[in-house]
Parts: sequence; structure tokens; C-alpha cells
Amino acid sequence: MASVARSSALLKQVAAQQSVAANGLRVAAFHTTSRKSLLPPPPQRIEGTVNDPVEVPPPSPSHGSYHWTFDRVVAAGLIPLTVAPFAAGSLNPTMDAVLAATILIHSHTGFGNIIVDYVPSKRVPKARKVFTWGLNAATVLVGLALYEFETTDVGLTETIKRVWKA
Amino acid sequence: MLAQRAGTTALRRVAAAPSSVFKLAPFAAMQTRPIQTERLTPADEAAILAKQRLNRPVSPHLEIYDPKQTWFGGSAWQRITGASFSGALYASAVAYLAAPLVGWHLESASLVAAAAALPVAVKGALKFLVAWPFVFHAINGVRHLAFDLGIGFSRATIIKTGWYFWGASIVGGVYLAFFM
Repeated sequence: MASVARSSALLKQVAAQQSVAANGLRVAAFHTTSRKSLLPPPPQRIEGTVNDPVEVPPPSPSHGSYHWTFDRVVAAGLIPLTVAPFAAGSLNPTMDAVLAATILIHSHTGFGNIIVDYVPSKRVPKARKVFTWGLNAATVLVGLALYEFETTDVGLTETIKRVWKA
Repeated sequence: MLAQRAGTTALRRVAAAPSSVFKLAPFAAMQTRPIQTERLTPADEAAILAKQRLNRPVSPHLEIYDPKQTWFGGSAWQRITGASFSGALYASAVAYLAAPLVGWHLESASLVAAAAALPVAVKGALKFLVAWPFVFHAINGVRHLAFDLGIGFSRATIIKTGWYFWGASIVGGVYLAFFM
């Protein structure tokens, strides 16, 4: 008798599984867009217990609000530096060097923001380090190249002007 | 130990006791609890939870949004144009550093000569390809600085001025490429 009862329980379980499958199909049919696992979740890990609140990172203004303000100041500073050669017709070498340096800083922090957005340290900590230090190295190289170009050639603005009018 | 066994064993014991009044044997057969419990360590629990979390739904792809917002959002194009210019600057600067070692000529004089040798149509197209992103990034950058001050940041205004800035950037790009 016990075995008969158990098999009926098994049947019940199978029926339940079938109803779950039917439910899943209904849910899948509810979603009208195609399902693309572009970024499948990486292996999950539980830090602490499930009842711990999300950890608040320690405040760091130099990576937060100061950095944000600095970005805006540099971007705003580029407006007069960009307009000046159009207005005056040319730039003196010092202003051209200031323009090149400001563009370099603007590019560096811009690339940095892109890395922070798309290479999260929580998900890919090693790649984040590679990208960050790669960017630092590239910026040093580009700074060196801009120094070379500004000191040995005709300067950034003048080059663009000559190529434009060629 | 199976929980259902525990139940049946106890009932069977009662049923086996001689009684002329109660016949419990049929009930004993019906008493089943088809579940099985297991003792888990906290590490096991965390492993099960981590596995379960892989089944959570992932955010849908961009195509659930209005295509106008996805493809013509000023913020996305600000990043695309800026990263293109900065990428071009980084690539050409590193190439300029490497030029003497590799034997390239990237001085301004040879760049001007190369540009002058191009057919007019190609030169115009290339100039527009540089001029449009430049104008877009410049004027849309000012728009974003205004957003940061809280100016023009209502939803309706963002959508409306977005189209104005697209139009202005194309006009400005054509002007810089073909009339300057």
C-alpha cells in the first residue's frame, strides 16, 4: 500500500512540474521582445548573509564630486580655447599648447569615465586594472607626442588649418 | 531518515496493538508525507542561493525602448563623437611618436600634401566626416553643461532641443566642411 501511495505522490509531483512548465511558457509568451543573453550573469557569490544591507562605499570626493566638477571646468574651459582661433584667425604657441594640454586632460578623464562605466571593477576587477593603467600609459605617451609636435612642428591649430585649406 | 517512514512506523506500531474497537490499519497505509529534509551547512546554503541567483531575469535589450530615443539620444552621441576624436588623437599621437622609427612621414607638411592630393569629393566627404562630429560635440557639450546647471532639463525640453541640436550640428558641419 505504501508503494501505491508513494507512486500517487510521484504522479502529483510530475503534474506539478508540468504545470510549472506550462506557467513558464505562459510567462515567456508574455514577453514580446526576443531574449538575448548579451551579458549573462557571472558566477554569483554571497557576501556575508542574505540579510546584510548593501555596503555603502566610503566617501571619496576626489573620485566623486571634485572629479565631476573638475571634468566640467575643463570642458567649459575648452569653449573659449576652441572659439579663440576661429575669432582671432590664429593662436600663439602658448595658447596652442594650453589647448593641446586641455584636450589631453579632457580626453583622459573622458576615457576614464567610459572605463568606469563599461568595465565595472565588481564584475571584472583585473580587466578594470588593465584598462585603467593602459589609459594612464597611453596618456603619458600622447602627452610626450603632443610636446614633440608642439615644439618641433607648427602646432595643433595651425596643422588643422593648413590641412583644412589644402 | 525519510519523514514518511517515521510517520508510518509510528502508526503501524499503534495499529499492531490488539484492539477490537479501532482498526487503524487502513489509515496507517494512507499516512504518507512525500518530503525529505536535509541538514545543510551555511556554506551549502550560500552555494544553493548563488546558483538560484543565476536564474534571475536579465534586463532586456535596448530594442524595448523607442528607437528615436535609442538611436538619436544626444548623450550617447556626445560620448561616441568624443571617444572617436580622442581615439583619433591618441592613435595619431602614438603614430607620430613611432613615425621616425617606422619611417612614416606625419609632419604637418606631408599631411597637407597628402590632403591636397585627394580628389575634391573625397576631401569634402572626409572634411564633413570630421566637421559634423566636431560641431555636434562642441554645441551638445554646451547643452550638457547647461543640463548640469539644471537648465532645460525637463523631459519635453530635452526631446525638443535634442532635434534642434541635431539640425544645428548638421548645418554647422556642412558650413565648416564646404564653406570654410
